[in-house]
Amino acid sequence: MAPAPPPGHFHILYFAAAAQHTGKSLEPLPAPLPLRDLFDELERRYSGIRASVLDHSLVTVNLEYVDIQADEEAPEGERVVIQEGDEVAVIPPVSSG
Amino acid sequence: MEGDTREAIQDKSNVASSRPKNGVPNGSDRRLTDEEFERYSRQMIVPGMGKHGQLRLINSSVLIIGAGGLGCPAAQYIAGAGIGTIGIVDGDVVEPSNLHRQVAHATSRIGMAKVDSLITHLRSLNPLPTYIAHPFHLTAQNGADILSRYDLILDCTDNPATRYLISDLCVLLQKPLVSAASVQTSGQLIVLNCPPSPQGVVDRPCAPCYRCCFRKPPPPSANLSCGEAGIMGPVVGMMGVAQAGEAIKILASALHLPQDARGASGASGASDAERHLTHPHLLIYSYDLASAIGPYTFRALRMGGRKRSCFACGEGSTLTLEGIRSGNPDYVQFCGGLAPPPHAGLAPEERVTAAAYDAARRKQELPPHVLLDIREREHFSLGSIEGAVNVPFGKLLMKAAEIQRDGGEAEDVLPREARGSGKDAPIYVVCRRGIDSQETVAKLKELGLDHGGTRKIVDIVGGMKAWKDEVDPRFPFL
Repeated sequence: MAPAPPPGHFHILYFAAAAQHTGKSLEPLPAPLPLRDLFDELERRYSGIRASVLDHSLVTVNLEYVDIQADEEAPEGERVVIQEGDEVAVIPPVSSG
Repeated sequence: MEGDTREAIQDKSNVASSRPKNGVPNGSDRRLTDEEFERYSRQMIVPGMGKHGQLRLINSSVLIIGAGGLGCPAAQYIAGAGIGTIGIVDGDVVEPSNLHRQVAHATSRIGMAKVDSLITHLRSLNPLPTYIAHPFHLTAQNGADILSRYDLILDCTDNPATRYLISDLCVLLQKPLVSAASVQTSGQLIVLNCPPSPQGVVDRPCAPCYRCCFRKPPPPSANLSCGEAGIMGPVVGMMGVAQAGEAIKILASALHLPQDARGASGASGASDAERHLTHPHLLIYSYDLASAIGPYTFRALRMGGRKRSCFACGEGSTLTLEGIRSGNPDYVQFCGGLAPPPHAGLAPEERVTAAAYDAARRKQELPPHVLLDIREREHFSLGSIEGAVNVPFGKLLMKAAEIQRDGGEAEDVLPREARGSGKDAPIYVVCRRGIDSQETVAKLKELGLDHGGTRKIVDIVGGMKAWKDEVDPRFPFL
């Protein structure tokens, strides 16, 4: 398992092309963060990452898939908020073999 | 014993479609031949397998699409386990650069069709299964016909367009799909569409398809191939072996049959397994010594089930086999097409061919300049043009973004060795194939490094590939 994030933060894991784009495999980000703001936050830090990585990647929170599209359309009270200590992962598809 | 064996082979050589369907205990009263008994003894005594499980494997058929880094190890264990009918699809021939990971081929079979090479290897491992060669690439035209003849499909291919095609066909033909992929030091594995449910059914939990997980393909520029990005043998090998493991497990417990066909009683204990499969786990393997997460990491991430809005399997989907056959959807287009990637709109004077650059250098017509090689460090280490300095494209873009966001000296995107070469020394940019270099020229200008036009920034057309073709045929290009 990844080390625990510092207080007030969650950990985000970057796999494959996401790791390549950010130059890291893991970093702490300030929590709480509404899920639907995650991509904006990452785009602010890594210009261009939305189009080249995030738009076709899947996202998990605490090892479970979250549907970002559905979350954006969900009513206010049902939206996912990433909490302190959570582990978020960005997983782009890999195609080769 | 001899006679028994021959009979067994003949029995299995019937075309797959006329074989009795696996899963029902057909032939469970059949005696295993002595050869089968001995060969499969160690797996039959594993709890849950037994003779029943072994006969299911023998009565099953598996299609392995791709005889490469995933397909080779997967096929070895599929054959070893005694799956009765094994089909292999691949249109390539064995090349020397395959052999570090495609371990079922052989140095002595370089140049042979991969399908034939792999079957040669599998026959020597286990002569009992029926092997079927499909020595061509899977296409929208031939796909449905081939897939329909098998019980379970292994996606061992190497490109997004074929992955979406295979997944769509599996949805329509109701075939379970064990999908794996790998590049550089990462691997992924997931069981999809298992147990299969009819397209469009969303009123009960159903397993997802590839599109439910990955709705959109990566842009072609972000899509790394093993040929371009590299691949470690054990990483892709691990994923291929795991694919075989999943396939054997599914077939031995008859989970590949559509829910309805299995009847109410079903296979014993299937309900727990089914619950897992309707929300399958995506297994991620990363093998990165420098990673902050740890040097070798497995992660199992629980996926969602079938998506109501899925283009292929969701409610009201209009995807059909006839449509696919006639080019709808257009998979190549969907995955970014074969068209050359958009160039950065450079003016003719901002580009020079490798041959012209070399000629000008030889005639000493060029002023002192920076030759910026933006390939990955590993490529650069294998050979470069004399005097070139290296900063990998990704690093350069990150540094540029940092400067644009936080401020700083634009000059700092260049490697240290390049910064002292005179304020207006021209910059020539070279990459592997001449695509990233165009983007880099545009980016350097955007940062103001062209000093309003007094400093030339030039793209070497076609990259080091062109250098090898036009200037130095012995250049070690990878």
